[in-house]
Amino acid sequence: MSILVACVEWFFLLYFVLANLGPLALNLLAMPALIRRTAVRPLEDLPPVHSGFEPPVSLLVAAHDEEGTIAGAVRSLLGLDYPQFEVIVVNDGSADGTLAALQEAFALEAFPEAHWRRLDAQPVRTLYHSRSHANLRVVDKEHGGKADALNAGINASRYPLFCAMDPYAVLSRDSLRRVVEPFLDDPATVAAGGTVRIANGCTVSDGQVVRVALPAHPLALLQIVEALRASVFAGLGWATMNAVLVISGAFGVFRKDRVVEAGGYRTGTAGADMELVARLHRVLRAKGERYSVHFVPDPVCWIEAPESLAALKAQRIGWQRGLCEALERNRAIFRGGGTVGWLAYPYFVVFECYGPLIELAAYAFMAALWITGQISGTPFVAFLALAFSLGFLLSVSTLLLEELSFHLYPRFSQVGVLVATAIAENLGYRQMVALWRVLGLVQWLRGTRAPDR
Amino acid sequence: MVPAAAPDLELTVAVTLTAGALAASVLLLATIAALRLERRWRLWRLGHREPAWLEVLHRAATEPAAARLAPIGAFDLPAFLRLWNRVYGSASEEEAPRLAQLLRGHGLHDRALRMLGRRTLGPRLIAITTLGHLREERAWAALEDIARQAGPVVSFAAARALLRIDARRALESLGPAIAHREDWPLARLGSVLHELGPTVVTPALLTLMASRPREGLERIVKLARFGQRSRVAPVVRGWLSSSEDPLVIVASLDYVEQAEDLPWVRSAARHDDWRVRMAGARALGRAGDRGELELLLDLLRDPVWWVRYHAAQALVRLQGLTEEELEALRHGARDAYAADMLAQALAERPRR
Repeated sequence: MSILVACVEWFFLLYFVLANLGPLALNLLAMPALIRRTAVRPLEDLPPVHSGFEPPVSLLVAAHDEEGTIAGAVRSLLGLDYPQFEVIVVNDGSADGTLAALQEAFALEAFPEAHWRRLDAQPVRTLYHSRSHANLRVVDKEHGGKADALNAGINASRYPLFCAMDPYAVLSRDSLRRVVEPFLDDPATVAAGGTVRIANGCTVSDGQVVRVALPAHPLALLQIVEALRASVFAGLGWATMNAVLVISGAFGVFRKDRVVEAGGYRTGTAGADMELVARLHRVLRAKGERYSVHFVPDPVCWIEAPESLAALKAQRIGWQRGLCEALERNRAIFRGGGTVGWLAYPYFVVFECYGPLIELAAYAFMAALWITGQISGTPFVAFLALAFSLGFLLSVSTLLLEELSFHLYPRFSQVGVLVATAIAENLGYRQMVALWRVLGLVQWLRGTRAPDR
Repeated sequence: MVPAAAPDLELTVAVTLTAGALAASVLLLATIAALRLERRWRLWRLGHREPAWLEVLHRAATEPAAARLAPIGAFDLPAFLRLWNRVYGSASEEEAPRLAQLLRGHGLHDRALRMLGRRTLGPRLIAITTLGHLREERAWAALEDIARQAGPVVSFAAARALLRIDARRALESLGPAIAHREDWPLARLGSVLHELGPTVVTPALLTLMASRPREGLERIVKLARFGQRSRVAPVVRGWLSSSEDPLVIVASLDYVEQAEDLPWVRSAARHDDWRVRMAGARALGRAGDRGELELLLDLLRDPVWWVRYHAAQALVRLQGLTEEELEALRHGARDAYAADMLAQALAERPRR
């Protein structure tokens, strides 16, 4: 019995060390790329000259019941700084006045467009062109969910790259230029994800973040530190190994022909964006083609993080279920080998998919040992201290990367708040999020169908 | 039985790791504080100097005799040159030589030359860009060496500087690299050629095109658009008949404007590669007349949407076809895809 207990204790100890060393290693990998990027930045100050070779981009916005916000969102997209792009809004069977709002704001007129149905999607009712903006079209279709709407958008799109984005996302004016850069620099690029930052507390004017600040709401603050740790720099670390498995649904650019070949977005899944990226890896590796998936660390896209526990819980459960589905459906990545198959995929399965379960089990196991008197208070406290200190080290390392690169929070007081948040995050928030993720894992294991709005 | 030392070992490991992680965290926090202080000091220093530098640069651009630049220390040199490059980048043709004269007058071109040898990427890139803007001949050999290096960022910056110094000589020297180096993106090369202008670029482009490299011809054909169209078009159109590379043919078809090329265009419109058929349809719309009607109607039934789209666009702009004839073609089309596409092209017509 004691041997078993000791083995379990060692397992949990090892798990906590590896679960934090992994992201630390990703941060270390991201560091040279960030430093190089910072060094190149002076040249980016020079006025950009467009050569005409920049690939045109179709911006796809899936809208469902967005009557109040859609016109403003589209207006800010139309103001992006990029040589050639079109905006395609897919009205996904909205029950409210989304279409009417678009018609009024952009002088839409029905247009006899020969629709190219490359991907399956719910029937299109009408295609509209805007009389006021030549690069805006609206696809009005039957409701089929976000993935289905994006597939309809791909069908209607005319350009070789498409950008899937969230209607709530706030993009910087140069966002497209930055996220398309990998496609210019590396012809093998099939997808590039943009960094999604949290807009709570920031001042947004005219569809642009004009002042970056920290939010007052503690839940939003915790998510800022969490996002820095879990996605911003980790994504860049994975990109250095061409093993990016996650591109946010809020802002990512894809090569259309590759996505169409892979079958487009999968409907009926909570994580269609991650599933698509995983499938691209799987399909292209199976074909033996050279390809790359990039990650752009610059803060180009901003979204509002939930400030209520209920909304955050629903979001995390959905994300976890989407992650599990994406990994399960693309198991063959592992057989494909390479860094993505033999490192990223197992990492995501162990630490992202089942990790929250192991983490909570560890807390419960150690607490049970302490309560039943099998261990004294000292090892229990030592275990908690280890979990806390490793988590804190990881958060501080991401703050250092932020300092080396973007300086979004320039005041000393802001760093102080972030450090305090990084400490607080380990005292309940991480465990709470782990619990919600376990709920998502359980729902996935039980086969509960994900809502795909 | 568990050895008595086992729990202690576990505890020791946990405590050691905790202490190590906390110590590393404190170290990182101290680094953050130090970096922030250094940055704050640097920005403060720059905030005091930059307005004065900007004033001198603007004065140098308009009244060079009145511009007085205080000595620039080694620490401030990269920041000053960065600002100079920014101002230079938006200067008019008249202002640019005056700004260059300001640097030369204060010996900063020599210091930029010495900065080329720096190992730090940022200052090195600033030096390369500055020397390119100055058209500094003495930097030629060093820049050529850098341009041959493997790193795409520095090598391309050096290539760009060489092109600014002497476009023809640079294109002769870099020609093979322009054709082969895929880490030099076409979009960036294109923006440099665009900046230099067709008069400067055309002779060198013609030399490069005459060499007709086996590999990378497609890149050269694409770059040909930055030359004077009247001079490059005959060469590029010549490749229509002699190249089998679909991408070269596609690029060449964009130069077709005359009926004499139509035999090649008709052949392209029946090519196996849909991209060639699409470019062929576009060329037929530009150079053809109603004699191409049957071929375009065939393309209107092509399995690829883009070929149908450009065939419909070509029909709409085809010389000699009246509105009534186009409507009759649409109503008479037995293929639903063809009819839909023609309807779209007709509806799009007034929008142009």
